[in-house]
Amino acid sequence: MYTQIIMQKNQRIILYILILIVGASWIALSADGTGATASTSAPQAGFSAPDFTLQTPTGESYTLSELRGQAVLVNLWATWCPPCRAEMPAIEKMYQEYKDQGFIVLAINMTYQDDPFAIVPFTKEYGLTFPILLEETGDVASAYQLRSLPSSYFINRAGIIAEVVIGGPMSEALLRTRIEQILK
Amino acid sequence: MITLFRNLFSPPRHMILLVMAAWIGLSLAEKRAERHGISKDNLNNVTFYCLIAFTIGGRISFVLQNTPTFLKSPLGIISINPDIFDPFGASAVAFIVAMIYGQRRKLLFWNTLDALTPFFVILSIGLGLSHLAAGTAFGKETDLPWGINLWNATRHPTQIYETLASLLTFSLLWFKKHDPRPGILFLTFATLTAGSQLFLQAFRGNNTLVFNNLRQEQVIAWVVLGICFALFELRFKRYTQGKTPQK
Repeated sequence: MYTQIIMQKNQRIILYILILIVGASWIALSADGTGATASTSAPQAGFSAPDFTLQTPTGESYTLSELRGQAVLVNLWATWCPPCRAEMPAIEKMYQEYKDQGFIVLAINMTYQDDPFAIVPFTKEYGLTFPILLEETGDVASAYQLRSLPSSYFINRAGIIAEVVIGGPMSEALLRTRIEQILK
Repeated sequence: MITLFRNLFSPPRHMILLVMAAWIGLSLAEKRAERHGISKDNLNNVTFYCLIAFTIGGRISFVLQNTPTFLKSPLGIISINPDIFDPFGASAVAFIVAMIYGQRRKLLFWNTLDALTPFFVILSIGLGLSHLAAGTAFGKETDLPWGINLWNATRHPTQIYETLASLLTFSLLWFKKHDPRPGILFLTFATLTAGSQLFLQAFRGNNTLVFNNLRQEQVIAWVVLGICFALFELRFKRYTQGKTPQK
């Protein structure tokens, strides 16, 4: 018999049972009664979305927390970013399709690293009707720990981030699946 | 250091870590494939077909789960978004393709799994690192001195825990004496991985909760551990009976 079989079958079975009992006890001991992360704010799925108040080029003000009850897509973008430009028509189409169900897009332009005079012509060129917000200080980019453009955050009606999509362009199908998820 | 690493491999670049891990894992698996009775060609082929099946299967599975959406936007099926992907469906399709390939090539099931074990272990190291880069699979809040600042809190570095556990598993398996019993190497890997997950998932901050606030990942790891023990006994029995293991 192979010499590495050092334990008898009965001994092994006792060991297995002991390990499984210890494992089950550990699972019970480490059960999570606190719930999770929803009370904390962070730019990650499962967390409450970091709040902000920003203005459109016409001076209209939007605060994220005041949109609680609506499904929100926060899209961070810049005019010089090709994938940001490429996904705008699909976002506009989805906005038109779902806005009556309580869906809103907050497209936050990274104005502090963009050409401010290019923003309004850009929105006209693409026929964008959802709110375009101007991020002039970098505070929101910092709160959302922005590393790549575009970055999109799908926020459910409770204000919790359901999905994060880094990079782009997002296809219409991806947008649709994520929007339907946060509208539920 | 961690911040630099996270900046360097921030999403979507964290996928590079998985690709690198797959490449290193396959290279290591190749080195020892023949001691398990599997040729390098067969090992490379089965991995290649599995990766292709994983990629396509993940997309198909996602599309099937969201059929009405894709009927409205059919071109989305071939869009370049990596987020249109279902990892569970991908794994299932890859497994089915591996089984079909193995049947056709008459590969021995347990020997093939043993030969692929270095690939799986290195992939699990890559997975831990990609979690660290993306900030996913993060830990719960802690005031321990080795906590890391992530998502606006000091947290258990669960991604580092899982990477270290995988490195330890790799060291134990790579430097251990060759075991001629087919399946034992793979089952040891599966047992160590399930055991470490069972322990480490307790420190995660975003588990899915089931039953009475139990962490789903721990329950799955516990079940896998039980299955591994049962399979160990079956393998021992088969070996002591002196039978050639079959597919």
